[in-house]
Amino acid sequence: MEETELIALAQAGDKQALAKLVKNYEQTIYNFAFKICRDKNKAEHIMQETFFSMVKSLYQFDGNSKLSTWLYRIVSNHCLMLARKFKNRSFVSLDDEDGLYEEKYAADWNTIPYKSTENEELKVILDEAIEKLSPEYRMVFLLRDVEGLSTEETAQATELSVPAVKSRLHRARAFLRNELNQAFQK
Amino acid sequence: MKEDKVTCKDVMQHICESLREDLNSERCIAIKKHLDECSGCQNYVQTVELTIDYYRKYNVKLPKESHDRLMKFLDLEDSD
Repeated sequence: MEETELIALAQAGDKQALAKLVKNYEQTIYNFAFKICRDKNKAEHIMQETFFSMVKSLYQFDGNSKLSTWLYRIVSNHCLMLARKFKNRSFVSLDDEDGLYEEKYAADWNTIPYKSTENEELKVILDEAIEKLSPEYRMVFLLRDVEGLSTEETAQATELSVPAVKSRLHRARAFLRNELNQAFQK
Repeated sequence: MKEDKVTCKDVMQHICESLREDLNSERCIAIKKHLDECSGCQNYVQTVELTIDYYRKYNVKLPKESHDRLMKFLDLEDSD
């Protein structure tokens, strides 16, 4: 059954159609929430809240955007709400854009012995690097580069302007690349 | 989620977009020419691509228990 049909049925109160929609997106939403908060318990909590919001407001979904973009917007909001509860955490400032493009380390990425993302040591490096970014930057990088949304869809999901998405994306990307470069040099 | 590999065109698109330039603009063509000739920049672009690729491939699977708790939380039943 097409997604539009499932949505129409779910909007009309069909619980089986709603369950199917949830099942179609639960893996994506859980994975995305984990990538933002890097914690499996928090990811599960955010996933539950996201689908609870979806169930509550599905009748408002007008089909003007993809359901996935709409869900990314909801999950992004829940991630931000959770992050705001931990306000005392400080994140790196990316205001010095020139500094981001200065090459301070000379790591040779070709000789990295643990290139597989199944490698626990690499996972730690990836977690530590992205955790330094504020959730606002993380969100843009993950939606645009990792989840593959377009710049416009990322702007919709984050309620940012397209130029703001581009600016955050480039800074986040450069920062993460530099963090990895530094870690690989060790 | 898209698993497609980042292509040179994607990278150029990103670079040009950030400069608010069209892919075929003079400035973008000049950047491409510079990239073709500069090993330092090629290395930088490659490592940015690798960074994105690492984060793309680092995924977590939804545990069965989490799925079950979600369906219960939403008062929904598994149909299959």
